[in-house]
Amino acid sequence: MFVQQLINGLMLGSTYSLIALGYTLVLGLLEMLNIAHGDVFMFGAFLGLTLAMFGAPLYVAVIAALLGAGILSVIIERSCFRPLRKAHFLGPLLSTIAFGILLQNLATQIWGSEPLRYPQTTEIAQFRLGPVQISSIQVIILATSLLLMMGIDLFARKTRMGRAMRATSENQINASLLGIDVNRVITFTFFASGALAGVAGVLTALVYLQITPFIGIRQGLIGMVAMVIGGLGNLRGAMIGGIMIGIIEVMNDAYLTASYRDMIIFGLFFAFLVFKPEGLFGTTERRA
Amino acid sequence: MSVYLEGVLALMGINILMALSVYAILTTDQLSLGNAGFMAIGAYTSAYLTVKAGFPLMPALLIGAALASLLGLLIGIPALRLKGIYLVMATCAFGEMVRTFFLNFEPTGGAYGFRGPFGTTLPLVYGWVLFFIVVFWLLDRSRLGASLNAVRDDPEVASSLGLNVTALKIGVFWLGAFIAGVAGGLYAHHMFYIESSNFNFLVSAMAILFVILGGMQTFWGPVVGGIIFSVLPELLRFLKDWRLFFFGAALVLMMIFRPSGIMTRQMVRDAGTWIGGVFGKTRR
Repeated sequence: MFVQQLINGLMLGSTYSLIALGYTLVLGLLEMLNIAHGDVFMFGAFLGLTLAMFGAPLYVAVIAALLGAGILSVIIERSCFRPLRKAHFLGPLLSTIAFGILLQNLATQIWGSEPLRYPQTTEIAQFRLGPVQISSIQVIILATSLLLMMGIDLFARKTRMGRAMRATSENQINASLLGIDVNRVITFTFFASGALAGVAGVLTALVYLQITPFIGIRQGLIGMVAMVIGGLGNLRGAMIGGIMIGIIEVMNDAYLTASYRDMIIFGLFFAFLVFKPEGLFGTTERRA
Repeated sequence: MSVYLEGVLALMGINILMALSVYAILTTDQLSLGNAGFMAIGAYTSAYLTVKAGFPLMPALLIGAALASLLGLLIGIPALRLKGIYLVMATCAFGEMVRTFFLNFEPTGGAYGFRGPFGTTLPLVYGWVLFFIVVFWLLDRSRLGASLNAVRDDPEVASSLGLNVTALKIGVFWLGAFIAGVAGGLYAHHMFYIESSNFNFLVSAMAILFVILGGMQTFWGPVVGGIIFSVLPELLRFLKDWRLFFFGAALVLMMIFRPSGIMTRQMVRDAGTWIGGVFGKTRR
């Protein structure tokens, strides 16, 4: 059923969009990759899951993951980016790989390496719209991610901090000459980036996956693919890129063999980087 | 020699080779986060040849490495268009493609992995390590090495001086992929069993860590980095399950306090002078 698959893809993709947005925020600001981003996602998922195990309702789990992952992301900025701000771009890249190893093993110590499933804390209702079936959880996932995406988009365009973020990403020195507290902007951006990943973690844990300490590696890479396809440094592009990947993934599983899914996605990733590095919605200006 | 020590030493040699493969490509300021892909090609090809086709180990290693280096050429060409983090992401995509390919490729076992290759010995591993050290040592003293340095420092100036920057940049990808292919073959015949997850993203990432933390100014950096960061997790064994946590933390701290790596060009020069002094010769 094509429409059903399209909707499933949209739901899955919206969680990828949240991850991609986090990458994009940091990349747009500092021109650097946070390799530990996927592990922030993993941490958010575990945080929400732990609270749910103690019986916390879903919204509490989401808010806790948002705050916890946001703070974790700020810690990453303080330890991997700020001390190396003048270094070669390799510096933070490497530091964040190391930080990812640290987080994966910390999570193994806290939660063990067995996959954990999100306990059912809310009633799941099924809605039927003609031939299409949607569960209440799927509606929650889609609504939460769309709300966050619109929120971050409005925030970047309308608020003072959002303007400061955009000015800093244009030119850090000019921004600081104009009286923008660049350090504050960077801290805030990392918080927002982590918070989005944390929420994505809880939402993903709800339906799609069992959570393990190493789940962040693939999800992080997929988020990176979504960012590249959407256009680097382009917030709306990252949202659409994520949803596209979600739809491609679901369609592939429905109509082709599931096992070649990641080959197709990473092939697409490679092809975009080589032939269309500005992505679908990016500007033609080459950043490198 | 105990089996444990032999295992640690063999993997150390393979790690040094992986570090050198990243270093080779890095000599022209190109960073590859996909060398586990080249390693996988070398590993699966040579393992298939020895187990299924009855090849002796050495020719199988060479064919595996040759195939990996061919892929290196194919990746090197599109890589010319990319710089910095974009190249990092593209090579990472390549590595993941190779991994998912072998996860699904039935002739080499697919998801069940591939069993049977054996025969890697310590002299074989360190023979290859020594061979590539000599290659880099010679390269360092050759016109070609100077050309590579020029390309790294400023590709535009290098090209205006008449150097074929394109060929050099593709060439180092070929070399790096070849070394990783050899490392993969040695790895497969050391482990007796390989599966696609042996060649995941973290393997590529660790290879880069060896280079950056060992130092990327001279080829001694990856060698020292490979040694230290193969031994370090073993020394941290007393921390039991926490050791990789502290390993990660140690790396983060190192990047903060010594971002240029352990071995710098100056240190090699000083060591050379010191050795020269001991043996009564002054160097340069």
